[in-house]
Amino acid sequence: MPIQTPSSTPMRDDAWRVGDVTLTSRFLLGTARYPSPQVLGQAIAASGSQVLTVGIKRMMTPDDSEFVPTVRKALIDTGARLLPNTAGCYSAREAVELAQMARELYGTPWIKLEVLGDPQTLQPDSFETQIAAEQLVRDGFVVFPYCTDDLISCRRLLDAGCPLLMPWGAPIGSGQGLVNPFALRILRERLPDATLIVDAGLGTPSHAVRAMEMGFDAVLVNSAVAGARDPVTMARAFQWAVQAGRSGWRAGAIKPRDYAQASTPASADPLRLNPKP
Amino acid sequence: MNTLPPDTTAETSASVCIRLDDQPHTVVAGTTLAELVAALGHSEAAVATAVNTRFVARGQRATYAMQTDDQVLLFQAIVGG
Repeated sequence: MPIQTPSSTPMRDDAWRVGDVTLTSRFLLGTARYPSPQVLGQAIAASGSQVLTVGIKRMMTPDDSEFVPTVRKALIDTGARLLPNTAGCYSAREAVELAQMARELYGTPWIKLEVLGDPQTLQPDSFETQIAAEQLVRDGFVVFPYCTDDLISCRRLLDAGCPLLMPWGAPIGSGQGLVNPFALRILRERLPDATLIVDAGLGTPSHAVRAMEMGFDAVLVNSAVAGARDPVTMARAFQWAVQAGRSGWRAGAIKPRDYAQASTPASADPLRLNPKP
Repeated sequence: MNTLPPDTTAETSASVCIRLDDQPHTVVAGTTLAELVAALGHSEAAVATAVNTRFVARGQRATYAMQTDDQVLLFQAIVGG
């Protein structure tokens, strides 16, 4: 598959922006499903992430109570920002209400908008996501929409005022990587100025490398880190992968060829001597 | 003669039956949402609230008096992906 390469080197420090916020890490980290608060804290530190996703839930049970203070401490230690989500919503109205509560609880206008349409694949509902995005933008939110790789619905979300898009790589938690690289490549090519973050489905650091080499601006990972045998080492591996993929994209990769091209500029017949005159 | 325990969810003229996190709950008539949150032991900033599936902002809780059959939901911060 051809790799899109930059026509010019982007910002010198390669920072990126969401509104008036400048970020240097391109690795967004989810905070769910870690084996312990201690491991979560260490994974956050190892990841170098500057954006941590969080959620809200009804107070039926007191679970997770030890994890949230760990995240809050990480914010103090690292200066990271929170990105609350609307996980579990299946309608625009639910998502809008949840977003309002998230803004109040976390004190940020940033919201990762998730409106799902199918309980097995957790595929985003493009129609409800669009309705919710339009409402939330009107309400002053900075909307990070979790979306599919469909070009047209992505364009509509940008038109609605979303500052970036978060297309899925594969179903949430599946670890399959980029299951539709064609669609993602087209998305990248057709929306060259949009900030695109691959969210969901990445399973290994090589998946992150591939996404970044394709020119995506960042990746968001949760399950692949939290569910690894050693989440702290995996967080570090993803950080390196994101940096490697980004550097590879910035450097401009060679075009793939069908046939070999010798790399050493040797003569064609190194041992054949010219006959004496 | 056996006697039944008092029904703590029964509404009287001085009380109001609501549903709290989908469970029956009785409050004194006129109780506000802010008072309910405090009575449950939560600091006002630790929870977000919804009544009848609509968000009620922190600043509006003190002026919202519980009505019969109100569905009150409390939300907390958790980890997430």
